[in-house]
Amino acid sequence: MSAQRAASLQALMWPAVLFVFLMVVFPFGFAFWLSLHDYKIGQTIRFTGLENFLLIWRDELFWNGFRLTLQLYGLSLVLQLVLGVALGLLLNRIQRMRSLVRTLMVSPFMLPPVVIGMMAIVILDPGMGVVNHLLKSAHLPTSLFLASTEGVIYTIVLIDTWQWTPFVALIVLGGLQALPQRIYEAAAIDGARGWRELVYITLPMLGPTILTAAVLRSVDLLRFFDVIYITTQGGPGYASTTLNIYAYKKAFDFADVGYASALMITLSTIVFAAVLVFSQFRKKVSW
Amino acid sequence: MMGLQVAVLCVVLFAPIAWMVMASLKPSTEITRFPPELFFSPTLENYRQLFGRTDFLENTLNSFYVTLGSTALGLLLAVPAAYAISWHRLVWPATLTLFARMAPGTLFLLPWFLMFSQVGLSGTHAALIITHTVITVPIILWTLLPHFDGLPRELTESAQIDGCGAWRILFWIVLPVVMPGLVVATILAFIFSWNYFLFALALSGISSKTAIVASFNFIGEGVTNWGALMAAATVIALPPILLTLLIQRKLVAGLAVGAVKG
Repeated sequence: MSAQRAASLQALMWPAVLFVFLMVVFPFGFAFWLSLHDYKIGQTIRFTGLENFLLIWRDELFWNGFRLTLQLYGLSLVLQLVLGVALGLLLNRIQRMRSLVRTLMVSPFMLPPVVIGMMAIVILDPGMGVVNHLLKSAHLPTSLFLASTEGVIYTIVLIDTWQWTPFVALIVLGGLQALPQRIYEAAAIDGARGWRELVYITLPMLGPTILTAAVLRSVDLLRFFDVIYITTQGGPGYASTTLNIYAYKKAFDFADVGYASALMITLSTIVFAAVLVFSQFRKKVSW
Repeated sequence: MMGLQVAVLCVVLFAPIAWMVMASLKPSTEITRFPPELFFSPTLENYRQLFGRTDFLENTLNSFYVTLGSTALGLLLAVPAAYAISWHRLVWPATLTLFARMAPGTLFLLPWFLMFSQVGLSGTHAALIITHTVITVPIILWTLLPHFDGLPRELTESAQIDGCGAWRILFWIVLPVVMPGLVVATILAFIFSWNYFLFALALSGISSKTAIVASFNFIGEGVTNWGALMAAATVIALPPILLTLLIQRKLVAGLAVGAVKG
């Protein structure tokens, strides 16, 4: 292999690398630079150092967003992992109509978020939506869902869980089908069946797969924007103004560019930290 | 017992989607009726309204321009890059694009906004195509990497001895072999570019508004015309659903691959 040829192959990579530098790395640096300034659209830009970050620390709406983000993240992640593993185990035992079930499973998370949002608005409408009609005819309490200050975040958790549990389940299914059958044969000889087989063999071996699903869902949930913004725009009041929504509103409703950038840098740091923690964890459990 | 579980699962997953399609085919007065009529005479009135009274046709075309443009540009950038990265067993360029997959999209909006207004691209189709390419490049790259990694090196070595250039080897020898992976990568890129909401929300102009943003505006305008709303949702849902049916088996593997390797 000549050195000249190695160089020519590397050249195939440079357009993409250049593009990523221009559209991702440079903007990231730019956003960081903006976060160190007081800059509102139409006013002069002024260097203020870390003042924006100090303001964030004392901003009640930031902590409101922080709490909502963690609440949404924790609840959704646990629900989706638990239900996803259960569904994956169920799918693994299906004999008939596999392909039909798989198609149905894939549909929710391939739909555009705006479609999810529109469906949720119509189906969960407090007055005329079909879900409240159903609850009423079953003599169960109805809900304001997306219009409820207390309930909105749980409603969003439910919507996201509907959309993404099948994704977790299909990843789990892939992991299950890759497990060596010999181990189950050995376990059967040793008398491990049913729950014992699940708890002592299947789940530990699925560890890396479940962590993979957890990382993917964490990244999406911590920076969750689209369905929330489409259905509530952060409302009612600030009841669903998560960090990402809050940063967006600061930027585009209030034109507070410097402060919004500081919020976005803070959120990015949280996402990267979560990924880092998970990847350290993953190194330990992989076999 | 298991059959029942699977049946319940299918109903829960599919009922909202079926509801959306049915509502789009009902007269507006019928949509809110309870109990809903499962057998009704369908009408295309909602679709006629949607395309007749609004710019929805133009918005839909914009969506196709942006999606096709960003998928094509993504392929142009990411396919050669994936080949080079795989051949040289490099890690950092692939990790770099993963950064784009993990950062919150809102982070880029303000810098892009200022950058595009500097070069006079604000609100144009070109600006949307470029921003959506940030989505398509990592998807294509990470979907293709395992396919390239699996190629025997002898495949291209004889061509190199014959003096073929890197681009010709890529196009005539390598790409035909990884065609299945290329199809999955292209379809995934198309779906994710089509579905993406945030960049077009913040950066599209009147003439480049996509169907996704237009539908969001219908909600914002307080449109209580649920029939037209559900018709718009059905139209937007159609391309990703049809494409999903084509590659459903390989799709999940494609989505998970970035995390597995990273």
